[in-house]
Amino acid sequence: MDSRDSLSAVSSDAARDASSLSEDAVLSVTSTLAKSALSCFQSGDFEECIDILIQLDQKKHNDPKVLHNMAIAEYFKGGCSKSKKLLEELNCVKKQSEELASAAREQVEAVNPGTNASVSKYQYDTTLTILNIAVTWFHMHQYAKSSSILEPLFQNIEPLDETIALQICFLLLDIALACRDAVKFLAVFDYMDKAFCVGFGSHEENGTMQLSSNQVSKTSSLLSSSVVSDTLKSDLTAAESSLCEETLDYDNMLAEMEAEKRMKPVGHIPANNILKTLSERSFSTADLKLELQLYKVRFLLLTRNLKLAKREVKHAMNIAQKRDSSMALLLKSQLEYAHGNHQKAMKLLVVSGIQKEAGTSGIFDNNLGCIYYQLGKYEASSRLFAKALRSCSSLRNKKPVKMFSLSQDKSLLITYNMGLLYLARGEPLLAAQCFQKASVVFCRQPLIWLRLAECCIMALQKGLLEERNTSLDRSEIRANVVGKGKWRKLLIEENGHVEHAGSTQCRKLSLPLARACLSNGIYLLNESLLSDSKSDLQSTLSVGTNETQEASSADHGDANTNSDLKETKGGMNQDIIQNSLSAFKDVQSREKQLLKQALLANTAYVELELEDPIKALSAANSLLQLPDCSKIYVFLGHIYAAEALCLLNRPVEAGAHLSAYLVGQDDFKLPYAQEDFDQWRMHTSSECEETSDSPTGNTRDSVFLKPEEARGALFADLAALLATQGHHEQAKHMITNALTLLPNNVQATVTAIYIDLMLGRSQDAITRLKQCTRVSFVPGRLEVRAS
Amino acid sequence: MNRSTTMIMKIDESAVVLSLLKSDLLPIEDVLSEFNSKLQSSSYLAVCNSLSMLLQDQKLLLGTERLIAFAIIYKCYSSQKPSLNPFLSEMISAACNEQLEKSERAFLLHLLQWNSYNNVKEILKQSAVDYIRSFDPSTHDFPELGELQREYGDKADPGPSSHIFADYSLKNLLHDPDVPRGCDPNSPEFDVQPGGNPRIGLGDRDEVLSELLGNFTMEGLPPRWIRPCPPRYQVHQSELLWIDPDNKHELVWDDKMCADTSRGATLRDLLVKGLKVTLSPTEQEEITTELTNDPKLVYHCGITPRKLPQLVEHNPQIAVEILTKLMNSPEIVDYFTALVNMDMSLHSMEVVNRLTTAVDLPKEFLRMYITNCISSCENAKQDKYMQNRLVRLVCVFLQSLIRNNTINVKDLFIEVQAFCIEFSRIREAAGLFRLLKTLE
Repeated sequence: MDSRDSLSAVSSDAARDASSLSEDAVLSVTSTLAKSALSCFQSGDFEECIDILIQLDQKKHNDPKVLHNMAIAEYFKGGCSKSKKLLEELNCVKKQSEELASAAREQVEAVNPGTNASVSKYQYDTTLTILNIAVTWFHMHQYAKSSSILEPLFQNIEPLDETIALQICFLLLDIALACRDAVKFLAVFDYMDKAFCVGFGSHEENGTMQLSSNQVSKTSSLLSSSVVSDTLKSDLTAAESSLCEETLDYDNMLAEMEAEKRMKPVGHIPANNILKTLSERSFSTADLKLELQLYKVRFLLLTRNLKLAKREVKHAMNIAQKRDSSMALLLKSQLEYAHGNHQKAMKLLVVSGIQKEAGTSGIFDNNLGCIYYQLGKYEASSRLFAKALRSCSSLRNKKPVKMFSLSQDKSLLITYNMGLLYLARGEPLLAAQCFQKASVVFCRQPLIWLRLAECCIMALQKGLLEERNTSLDRSEIRANVVGKGKWRKLLIEENGHVEHAGSTQCRKLSLPLARACLSNGIYLLNESLLSDSKSDLQSTLSVGTNETQEASSADHGDANTNSDLKETKGGMNQDIIQNSLSAFKDVQSREKQLLKQALLANTAYVELELEDPIKALSAANSLLQLPDCSKIYVFLGHIYAAEALCLLNRPVEAGAHLSAYLVGQDDFKLPYAQEDFDQWRMHTSSECEETSDSPTGNTRDSVFLKPEEARGALFADLAALLATQGHHEQAKHMITNALTLLPNNVQATVTAIYIDLMLGRSQDAITRLKQCTRVSFVPGRLEVRAS
Repeated sequence: MNRSTTMIMKIDESAVVLSLLKSDLLPIEDVLSEFNSKLQSSSYLAVCNSLSMLLQDQKLLLGTERLIAFAIIYKCYSSQKPSLNPFLSEMISAACNEQLEKSERAFLLHLLQWNSYNNVKEILKQSAVDYIRSFDPSTHDFPELGELQREYGDKADPGPSSHIFADYSLKNLLHDPDVPRGCDPNSPEFDVQPGGNPRIGLGDRDEVLSELLGNFTMEGLPPRWIRPCPPRYQVHQSELLWIDPDNKHELVWDDKMCADTSRGATLRDLLVKGLKVTLSPTEQEEITTELTNDPKLVYHCGITPRKLPQLVEHNPQIAVEILTKLMNSPEIVDYFTALVNMDMSLHSMEVVNRLTTAVDLPKEFLRMYITNCISSCENAKQDKYMQNRLVRLVCVFLQSLIRNNTINVKDLFIEVQAFCIEFSRIREAAGLFRLLKTLE
């Protein structure tokens, strides 16, 4: 604090001292040059801009601000392709500024006001440089890095210029959304609401706003109300007529869109240019209000509070009335999508008009693809995703490249969707390629590792793994934990190769890869569960402080009746938002539990395939120890544990796992009920309300044993176990039961043949072999088909 | 699943083995050395395994071929003691099998070097045909199975299997159900005749041998475990990524480059002056406009909590202006602390009074300030005039706060009442007292 005092004192002294004529002249020359550099930059003439900057650099040697602008101009000149270089240079500028600032401070401390350098706080301010570094990281999809460098700025945001502060806040909001970090989002959003909205809006405007929101709640439907502009209406009816009559015909839809495109050539006015003025001084309060309202809706959608989202999106539509409503319509469409009202979602998506704009048409295609995926129309969905990817790549190749278009490059997200689609269509190799590409963005999320492992397993089942990974390839994967805290890295060693967990290298699918992916997934999940429990602790603390704040504001309400209304309204919103936040946390923790079950079950399976019963057993045991484990996974845990124990020559313990399901001496109950099976299939839609009529929960996604078949598997496995123990007659009884439940099961048939042979009935065995439809008698080779 | 692909013989290997089996006229010794030269030791296990499978079917191999096959099995592990041969149990059971030719059983006992059968080298010098021809059954006696097992059995290697399924796996060679049981495949009836027409049931023994040699695996037929594949994790609606267009996060040009670095220099100069003297109305106006034009300038104007008291004394209006703008600053508490701790004066009270109408002051601050005021009055006993003046100021200040509803009187009632009573001789204190009474 003291240094700041004297610093500014010195700077003012210095400024006074420096007011000699020659200095003034230099100042005016450089400032003229700076102005023309800026205008060159704004008009896109980067060559000229850089020339001027070089002149400036010669006049003001190593001025960090000149170097900063130079780095940015060079970056644009290079077509925004050398992000790494830009980062290096910006970091360099930052370091230099910091050094100069501390040198200046030292000078001041030495009380030496007569120095020739005019020391100003502004001159060595690194805020802009940091912001630009964060922006670059953001465009490189490195959200964690971007967020961590912005965080200190946000902590001390008050003294910053409003436009810069806004930019930081919006960037933080988008980062939080990209990371699905609701807590972080709320922290930033609350600040913005307080700092920008209240400050801007006069009481009068507040009043009208409330009035209009009341109006909204009274009108039954926004779309049918007279509020909607005529064009919107006609658009809607057009969309309705094309969509409702021929329900969801993809080709019609495309034709419709094509026709529209031909009629209106692609304009250059961005569809949603809310922030176009952000970098300029003037910022309309109403724009900001709309923008914040839209973000509020996105938060509610993120936290799956659909009811409130519906209300708030109406409010947003109301604010957007006279402005650009495309974003509000898009969010409305997303809301209907989340509700499972796919036809409505589709209509709204078309009405939003984002397909008309080159920058956002890819987003349109992607979102439409999502809708078709939910409808089970994979063909249409894949065409749309492919189209979305094409328009993204054309956007990338367009000249001149704008940073904006880079930020709209969502190809990695679309690639992830494409991966899910391939997985659903049973094409594991293509799916894995997609996931490996998308892992640049998602490598910190455990789910993508599970998906990659699923690709490997599916490839195994389809016989697509090129080489069998057998006893020769039992190489262990070691995960070395290096470093501490946020610098902790996972170093994975595999056959001598060393690479980071987030490596994007395309690797061939194999079971060892599946094993590595699953262990990555488990590691990341445990890490996030750990940080959850930590933040729970923190959030109880912060709730405490919130309460005191609320209490004081309530007290304050007594004294100051003017702001009473405003305060209570804000408080109510706060409650609702906090509620939806905690509800979302519950949902998330439930999903993480389910994910953990899936990861462990898959690990046990893969370890069995890799003939490592010890690891399989430990995975199965941890699966069985999870609290509230779903019955299907409990069943898998018992089956895997039993097999692993057999392979470890511990038949008695294996039997104990199987007999958990025994009823009496020799009958099995259903390991899980039909409801569990259905619930698993329906799990997609069980989260949101009003989706009972949605067709999302159909069987296409889960090829798994029905409860009766699972019971059959228990019989067959017990038969196999008994047979190895020499109890052939008992085994015979079990396997007969198994084969009535699973008539064409290969393994059960083989076990049955074995038992027949052991009982000396080779004729029976041969008859059985002939009866089984899944045996092929190949010339020269007798084998049983594996799938 | 076929796990032991590496245990399968290669095609060329099986051809070699097949041709060796047929070399029944060469001395067995020579056959074995050819075997050694043509096959890697790494494939011995696979070869022996396949041969032992073939040997299980008593009719598949001719007598001479069986001898050579056993000899190969013997040879592969001849560097070790016979008891370490993994195929020992097969050899023992064959040696004791009454159904087999006595010549073969004797041959095996030689290989096993059982008691008097110790001239294995001599035997191997003959060809397989010669051995059988010269074999005299009367000169041999055969041990019981148990005898042999006692000798070798408990020393026998457990073999390559490691788990119960492997231990219990069956040899997986079965008769084809379509070949009649009684049919002797070695009868010439169904052999391929040169130039003859193909007939149903025609079979070539060599063909089946080579195919079998090529296809045997180490694993027999174990009981199979059903290992259900875990279900694919559900695609939750939110996993499929719905995309919203981002805001445009552009790189920002630093427009402060080479700009006038004296931003706020005038203001700072004026404020430095304002710490010492009262500024003229024009100067004050200048400060106000500068601060309004650049709302963040206040953070860089050089007024720190330490300097605040001086500014308050000389230019209370400017102090109010600055504090109002600093309300959102994280350091505002420090400024309030400075205000509370400074000496009581008309100007400091004026500042606080104005602040109460302009912004929301923290309650604790206000309470502390009032307490401070009261104790200042009590402490100023030495200077009666000064004390009177202070008391009057505090009273006016409190009345104003109460009238404006800025403070809740109940919180401070006792304290303020005591203050009024102590200074009841002063008119303003009496007035304040009356005001308090009306509020009761």
